[in-house]
Amino acid sequence: MVSSERSSNRLIKQIGRRFSRRGWLLAFFALDLLIIYSISNNEKLIDAWSFVIRGIGVTVQITIWAFLFALVIGLITALGRISKNVLIYNIATFYVEIFRGLPLLVIILIFAFVVTPAIVDWIAQSPLDDLAQTIFGANPETITTTVLRTRDIDSVWRIMLAFALTYGAFMSEVFRAGIESIGHGQMEAARSLGMTYVQAMRFIVLPQAVRNVLPALANNFVFLLKDTSLASVVAVPEISQLTRQYSSNNFRYPEGLLVLSFIYANLTIVLSTIANYLEISLQAEKREG
Amino acid sequence: MDKSPIISMKNISKTFGGFVQALREVSLDVYAGEVVVIIGPSGSGKSTLLRCINHLETADTGEIWVDGIHLTHKSTDINKIRAEVGMVFQQFNLFPHKTALENVMLAQQVVRKRDRSEAERVARMQLEKVGIPEKADVYPAKLSGGQQQRVAIARALAMDPKIMLFDEPTSALDPEMIKEVLDVMLDLAKEGMTMVVVTHEMGFARAAADRVVFMDEGRKIEETTPVALFENPEHDRLKLFLSKIL
Repeated sequence: MVSSERSSNRLIKQIGRRFSRRGWLLAFFALDLLIIYSISNNEKLIDAWSFVIRGIGVTVQITIWAFLFALVIGLITALGRISKNVLIYNIATFYVEIFRGLPLLVIILIFAFVVTPAIVDWIAQSPLDDLAQTIFGANPETITTTVLRTRDIDSVWRIMLAFALTYGAFMSEVFRAGIESIGHGQMEAARSLGMTYVQAMRFIVLPQAVRNVLPALANNFVFLLKDTSLASVVAVPEISQLTRQYSSNNFRYPEGLLVLSFIYANLTIVLSTIANYLEISLQAEKREG
Repeated sequence: MDKSPIISMKNISKTFGGFVQALREVSLDVYAGEVVVIIGPSGSGKSTLLRCINHLETADTGEIWVDGIHLTHKSTDINKIRAEVGMVFQQFNLFPHKTALENVMLAQQVVRKRDRSEAERVARMQLEKVGIPEKADVYPAKLSGGQQQRVAIARALAMDPKIMLFDEPTSALDPEMIKEVLDVMLDLAKEGMTMVVVTHEMGFARAAADRVVFMDEGRKIEETTPVALFENPEHDRLKLFLSKIL
């Protein structure tokens, strides 16, 4: 009797300890419910919600595409940064330092107003013009008589490279740290079995390195999601841009910003909670082997 | 001996970082089927010498021939030679994201281009040989040090190497696990495998070595049979070394 009482006490303590570290999450969900309740009962908020939520597709589109590009760029750059080839190392490092050194906002402006027009001008004068117009969806009947113009290119794609290259630079450092966290003995063991450098990287080092940095990659994904709000400065119709539009049209800043914050917070907190569990389960796996 | 050596090293010198002289003009011949044990104090260059044989370290000067192939020549495909030379490390260096079986299979498939079933057959045979067939599907983290090292030996043997290199294979093991690894190595020596072993296990040197090489400060000090070395050491430095470890 006494012992079962004690064990039930222990259970309560355990649950208490668990929840005491999750108070912020409970508070967040409570606030969430309150806001959902308000939005569904307030005409102004419903109005703001239905205007802003149209941008969610663009926000998600930029996030996912830029993240995928950044993964590839980051991995290649990381391999360049650990390369013994002096030329490759210096090119990779130059890229990383430049893109880490410039504010993302500035990079977005450069890509929207300098790089994209320059590329478009170059393509317009090249034989690729007709092909490019087809790709970017110009009217097929006018292609023979027109050239590619900057405005033919969807604003989302104008700033996509800015995000991909900036986050590629950040993520190359993540990958590099991951690769360097794998002891040199792994590479030596693989090479001593006759594997080439590329084979050893592919089968031995990278699989372990990527696992080690999965939580850091997930974090970068969350940061990228938040940073897509910067695309609003070049009028990309994502949720921040729509909020600015809605609010300044109707002088309803509180409503617009409440809805906007609600969307961002829910996306990021869900994602970072997933990242958290990923991290914990990976650590548990490591302990158990 | 009229046969030519399977490993031939001539006047190997190696400097680390421009000033630490790891090897000074070391020459060593190893014949097929021989077991050569290299002993010496730490920092004497014995591991470096071993690692030169499969080119994990590059000799600054001197020539190395392995199985008739000029290793120190620029145009030599080093990966081909490495596939013929198995290596066992002090820290095991098993691949932690793969099971014991996968550890033994991978290089067979990637380097030897064996298909999956053939690689698995060989892998299971080698795990049987080192005495842990039941651990095939276990990840390295769940194996004891001795078991890990035996998987590492099986991994090297699965490539059908002509030469096996052992770099202090028992130095990172608990005392009670040393024997299980040494037993595997003794069996291998009995089968006639060509082995070069860097070790502090004098018992193994006595039991299995055809020749023992004593190194100090990057030089080969003495090279003789184990009996002569232990019963009748010539150099003072070797006497001092033996008096401290025996």
